[in-house]
Amino acid sequence: MRGRRARAFTYVFLTAVLVFNLIPFYWMLVTSFKTDAEAYAIPPTWWPLQPTLYEGYGKVLMWTNFPRHFLNSVIVSLGAALLSTVVGAFAGYGFSRFQFRGRTSLMAVLLASQMLPGVLLVGPYFKMLARVGLYNTYTGLILAFSTLTLPFSAWMLKGFIDTVPHELDEAALIDGCSRVHAFLRVVFPLITPGMVATLIFAFLLAWGDLLWVLCLTSTDSMATVTLGLSRLVTQFRVIWPQLMAGSVIAAFPPMILYLLLQNYLVKGLTGGAVKE
Amino acid sequence: MGFPTVMAVLNSFAPVWTKGFQGFTLDYYARLLRDPIFWNSITKTMYFVGATVALHLGLGFAVALALNTEIRARRFFRVTAILPWTLPDIIAGLVWAWMYDPLSGIVNDFLHRIGAISSPVEWLANPGLVMPSVILADAWRGYPFVMLVLLAGLQAIPKQLYEAAKVDGASWFQELWHITLPNLKRMIVIATILDIIWQTRRFGLVWVMTQGGPARSTEILSVLAYKNYFKFFNFEYASAMSVAMAVFLLVVGIPYVRMIVRRA
Repeated sequence: MRGRRARAFTYVFLTAVLVFNLIPFYWMLVTSFKTDAEAYAIPPTWWPLQPTLYEGYGKVLMWTNFPRHFLNSVIVSLGAALLSTVVGAFAGYGFSRFQFRGRTSLMAVLLASQMLPGVLLVGPYFKMLARVGLYNTYTGLILAFSTLTLPFSAWMLKGFIDTVPHELDEAALIDGCSRVHAFLRVVFPLITPGMVATLIFAFLLAWGDLLWVLCLTSTDSMATVTLGLSRLVTQFRVIWPQLMAGSVIAAFPPMILYLLLQNYLVKGLTGGAVKE
Repeated sequence: MGFPTVMAVLNSFAPVWTKGFQGFTLDYYARLLRDPIFWNSITKTMYFVGATVALHLGLGFAVALALNTEIRARRFFRVTAILPWTLPDIIAGLVWAWMYDPLSGIVNDFLHRIGAISSPVEWLANPGLVMPSVILADAWRGYPFVMLVLLAGLQAIPKQLYEAAKVDGASWFQELWHITLPNLKRMIVIATILDIIWQTRRFGLVWVMTQGGPARSTEILSVLAYKNYFKFFNFEYASAMSVAMAVFLLVVGIPYVRMIVRRA
């Protein structure tokens, strides 16, 4: 009777995990629909007595700089993702197709650079960007994020390019295409799914960051959602319905994208260590 | 990326930016070794990383095992188990900080209702409770990644192995010990290394929940280094600190790099 009892136990365990997983989401959503006064009720209500869209969502969208922060997040994350994916595709092509001296060590260095802590890099970045006048600009943030995400992009795209048989681009070369043309016309269309996946991951990395925007921007109009929300919580009095409404909105894009891409991510990070 | 690294390393030996180059010195590292605040933060980092990685692995493995069985609604359980990880860590930190609110938070209210506590607990203001509270919040957000990696590993183990074991009359525990774990070793190693690296660098979640406080009881290295850079403007000192952190991470990360590069 091992089977039946084990199965019952599995269900109980998974249900407990389910509750653990969802309670913070529940609390976030419920709070975002409460009025300010109700959020501070003692004891708290588990369901909003007077559900309202205005106090949380309305106010955070109309009274605070949140929409601007959201837009900044989109611009910076998208810019960094595009830049690092395009550069990463060329780098990945080089790693995949050419045997040159020090190729393996260069790839290892690239991978190892992912281990460096953000606090090590952010200080020098701050100095560099300040010197060339890119501190507190979109360009500066995009450049900084791209260098962060580039190693991962190059690695992931190399994996995708490896799956394209090299006879294909060699055939294009024989037909008189240049290397760049062979890449753009032949390989590029075949790795579009990989490009999209890489693009989204770079986007997510930039979206979730706090340290870099905290250090590389100074004005509120340049802040991203993560920075904007973290500033709201360190204020003297926290208005939780607004903060939770903002969190729900800011959490939405990454949530959708992660769920779409979970399988790619595991493959990218484990270097295909799982047998297919 | 190379240039800032070189600059940071250089800067930890000589005050290049603030005073101009005047020769190398080991003063900053010497100061680091004598600084109780630095050692405090090393202890806190080890506590934080050790506990969160252990919880991620334990919970991740248990959930992966449960999801790898023939049950109904597997997709549903799987998707909901990934959700916490999709939150940016600062948002996870915000939500948990609010759940831990002493008067209007759901945690105290729940414990009060079931009769476990009689007066509100200050989860994030009590130096003795704050670290476990932060760790629980991080465990919640971080375990799904480990779970995903281990689940992928579990699904790759050939079913015949288990069938053969059943014929031989192996118990559930024997199967786990002799088939599952050996076959999963590689994935466990990769997930552990990556997680140690990520957790050592963790900044946003701790920053929004406590900013390192109260009384430095959650001041992990990344928070301390950030404060030295951008609050106190001790660039050289902060560089020395981050170089120490980088060296540790690279040492931990080498096996991962070797495993991945050898495969490519």
